[in-house]
Amino acid sequence: MKKIFLLHLIILNLYAEEPISPIPLDIEVNHAKVDLGKKLFFDTILSRDNSTSCFSCHNIYDGGADANVVSVGVEDKKGNIQAPTVLNSKYNFRQFWNGRARDLGEQIHGPIENPVEHDMDAKTIELRINKIDEYKKLFNEVYGSRYITYKQVMDAIVEFENALVTPNAKFDKFLRGEVALSKNEKEGYILFKKNGCITCHNGINIGGNSFQKMGTFMEYSEDSNYPDRSKITANPNHKNVFKVPTLRNINKTAPYFHDGSAKTLKEALGIMSKHNLGIILKEHELEAIIAFLKTLDGELPKILDIK
Amino acid sequence: MKLKKLISLVIGLGVLSSVAIIYFYIIQKDFTKQHREFLLSLNAFKSTHIDLEHQILQSSIYSYQNQDEMAKNISSLESDYRILLESQILKDNTYIQIRDKLQGLEKDLKKHIRNTQNYLMLNASVKNSLVFLSNYIEEANFLKEENTELFRHSWQILKNFNDAKLMQDIDYINRKNFLLSSLSKDEKVQDFISSFNLHSNFLIKNYPPYIQTTKSILSDNTRENLEEIKKEFSNLALSDFKALDIFASILFSVFIFSLFFIIILFLKYLRENKKLQKTTASLEYSLTHDQLTGLQSRAAFENKLQKTAKPHLLLANVDSFKCINDIYGNDVGNIVLQELANIIKTEFSNKKNTSVFRLGGDEFGILFDDIKSQDAFELAIKLEKKISDHTFLIYELSLHLRVSIASNFIAPILENTDLALKHLKQDYTTRVLEYSEDLNLKTNVEENMNIVEHIKLAIKNDNIIPYFQPIINLKTNKIEKYEALVRLRLADGTILEPFRFLEISKKSSYYHYITKAMIEKTLKMAKEYPKYRFSINISMIDILDAKLLNMLCDTLKANPDVANRLDIELLESENLQNIEAVQDFISTIQKYGSKVLLDDFGTGYSNFSYFSDLDIDLIKIDGSIVREIESDKRKLHMLKSIHSFSNGMNMKNVAEFVESKEVANLLYEVGVDYAQGYYFGKPLEHPLDSDEVLI
Repeated sequence: MKKIFLLHLIILNLYAEEPISPIPLDIEVNHAKVDLGKKLFFDTILSRDNSTSCFSCHNIYDGGADANVVSVGVEDKKGNIQAPTVLNSKYNFRQFWNGRARDLGEQIHGPIENPVEHDMDAKTIELRINKIDEYKKLFNEVYGSRYITYKQVMDAIVEFENALVTPNAKFDKFLRGEVALSKNEKEGYILFKKNGCITCHNGINIGGNSFQKMGTFMEYSEDSNYPDRSKITANPNHKNVFKVPTLRNINKTAPYFHDGSAKTLKEALGIMSKHNLGIILKEHELEAIIAFLKTLDGELPKILDIK
Repeated sequence: MKLKKLISLVIGLGVLSSVAIIYFYIIQKDFTKQHREFLLSLNAFKSTHIDLEHQILQSSIYSYQNQDEMAKNISSLESDYRILLESQILKDNTYIQIRDKLQGLEKDLKKHIRNTQNYLMLNASVKNSLVFLSNYIEEANFLKEENTELFRHSWQILKNFNDAKLMQDIDYINRKNFLLSSLSKDEKVQDFISSFNLHSNFLIKNYPPYIQTTKSILSDNTRENLEEIKKEFSNLALSDFKALDIFASILFSVFIFSLFFIIILFLKYLRENKKLQKTTASLEYSLTHDQLTGLQSRAAFENKLQKTAKPHLLLANVDSFKCINDIYGNDVGNIVLQELANIIKTEFSNKKNTSVFRLGGDEFGILFDDIKSQDAFELAIKLEKKISDHTFLIYELSLHLRVSIASNFIAPILENTDLALKHLKQDYTTRVLEYSEDLNLKTNVEENMNIVEHIKLAIKNDNIIPYFQPIINLKTNKIEKYEALVRLRLADGTILEPFRFLEISKKSSYYHYITKAMIEKTLKMAKEYPKYRFSINISMIDILDAKLLNMLCDTLKANPDVANRLDIELLESENLQNIEAVQDFISTIQKYGSKVLLDDFGTGYSNFSYFSDLDIDLIKIDGSIVREIESDKRKLHMLKSIHSFSNGMNMKNVAEFVESKEVANLLYEVGVDYAQGYYFGKPLEHPLDSDEVLI
């Protein structure tokens, strides 16, 4: 029965409704918490040697990711993976490249406690932050308690991150029927779908809703030791399996891939089409797809407009 | 005692069933809530599972789709499972096996999610390669003409791949040749073949894990297991529901039982209440009704009087009822009263606002509310006539009664009516009397009430004074003596005669002072008027008063002149009980030269025997004889006899109450020695200087 049903459907059209949805223009957040979280996001006291803030690796004014291949944390220690963007991260189905955190609330402890990132612990953060009168005042206003807890600090930062969405990308406007794409951009979008990029890069975040192997079609650097999905599942088949990254603001988040190996979009497209699709894209195709990808640049998060 | 036990039982049952109902309510509410929540969680989990499967199927059909929902469903599936596992009801030991079974699902669930994620990875690349191949062949136009065989073969391979995907059968792939080959030296052709075979090889390699993953997803039996768990849960819950049912039945029985007891209690209460009402009624009746006549009692009267707005009372009293009891006995008396009560009852039974009471032994009251005084008086006259006309036939006796009826509406009702009735009783000619303030009954009463106070005051202020009434010697027609008569002078100068105060004073301790004052003042007067004799009244009380007697003797001894002119009048009405004491007194007095006179002879129980024992000098013939000698021959005869008797006994006599010339003349004729009375002279404050009689 199921198979007959399947048989009928497969012959039907390849196109359902558009597999990408726009970012809503209005999201609900607690503004007081967001303001507080913003202040904390930029504050280096959250790192052991007062050198590093969240902002250090997540330039939210320019793509929300790190322009370095690997990020630099406390005492100039280097990380082991390229920092993904914090923008629109609330729409990711998991956090971190290998998806080890279910949400931002779980994710945040990672960089804070990571010895090569912030290298902090709950107790030290509480000790430091409770010494600052301004924080004491602000936290008391928001949480109504005299003593600031680690949990409250994390909660405020998470709420700020929840506000970091980039609406009104040209493509979103196109989806809403507000603008038309240029010929080249439209061509790029069709190629994006036709060649199967869309298979993994779809949904509101154009990615970020499934795991996929880097090098599905053709093996990609077999002997690397990046923290991939196999580190979680202990399944050898999950080697080089990562959370599919978002393509929103992709124009601004170079270098690309977990290893930061691609410096440009063209480079990244070439690697991706070869290793994951088994296709060699022609020059005009690359140009068209890049033109399309550029339409995914959104507006700066609203919270950043208010200084 | 039994009732008390029953009440305790009912209260106990009530409390018990109340507690049980509350307990039942909580338990039942909790259980149904938890039961419902568990089933809801289970259904949510199941429906997420179905949704996920639906999305997996969609993804296998569409070349691409928005996977956001699927990602959300996978995490929902995990959280739904946790919620289900943490259901409150599973903490109960009864459902521990359900919990165990659910925990057993975790492994399958994880596997299912893992399979799904693997499937998505494989599906993406398989689909992409299939789409690639289809595009690739279509774009290779040069083959159509140059190498038709190769072109056809490539389509054939793509078709076989698509078929294999539909059939989900690995064998199908193994049996066929999915690779292209050509002997052509054309670079274009060889490039086509190499790209084609690259994807073809990829598909050949990935089909087995793809198909296996798909199969294992489709063969996931989580839902079947859930159905089984649900069935098992329902069975367990059923026994819980049954227990609740039994509990509810018990509760209901207890409730019915309580209700039954309450009904018994209520019936019992009704019966007791009825009994109590009966007792109360009979008690009330006996309190408010006279047993003999059945009329309402005095207590009822007083109660009724208070509630009467314009009361008017008739008070009827049987004249000389005591005689009936005395002569015929109480039985007859009672029957008379009953019959009398019936007469009165019958007379007034039809009248509105009228009640009949028995207020005393032989006293009946008829109380009207709002009646004209004239009408009440006429009703009283009618009643009196009816009773006096009635013949009471009792035990062959035939009796006639007279009643006196007083009528009154002036408050205080009963007191005023009673006064009027008492006044009426003294008057044998009137039978019905309306009370009025003009009767002046109240003043008298007040005076009587105050008389003791007056006596006290008079003694204190020396207002006990003698009045002197002349006594005429009928032979010489001259005033020879004066009798000292006691008077009480009030503060306002009013003179009270002895009948107003003497009897009362005898019952008080003041009598002694009165006699003393009389003796002193009379002796003083006697000294002033040496030509007259004087007489003083002495009673038995005085004779027995040793102190007074001493004082008298001392005075007589000191004044022998006066003593010789003094007569002591023994008041016979006092009933001279102690004859010896009296004779001693007489002897003493006579020793000082005074004479002794026996007062009021010829009335009451005058006893001739006194004269054999006592040395009496004079006797005074009672006024009741003297007054009527002119009209009554028998009285005249009595007077003559007493006169003749006293002559024979060598005693002088005195006639009192001489109020007319005719009587005086008769006394002359008979030859009575002395006389006194208004005809000869009223009592005066002082004796007259002249002894001439002024007529």
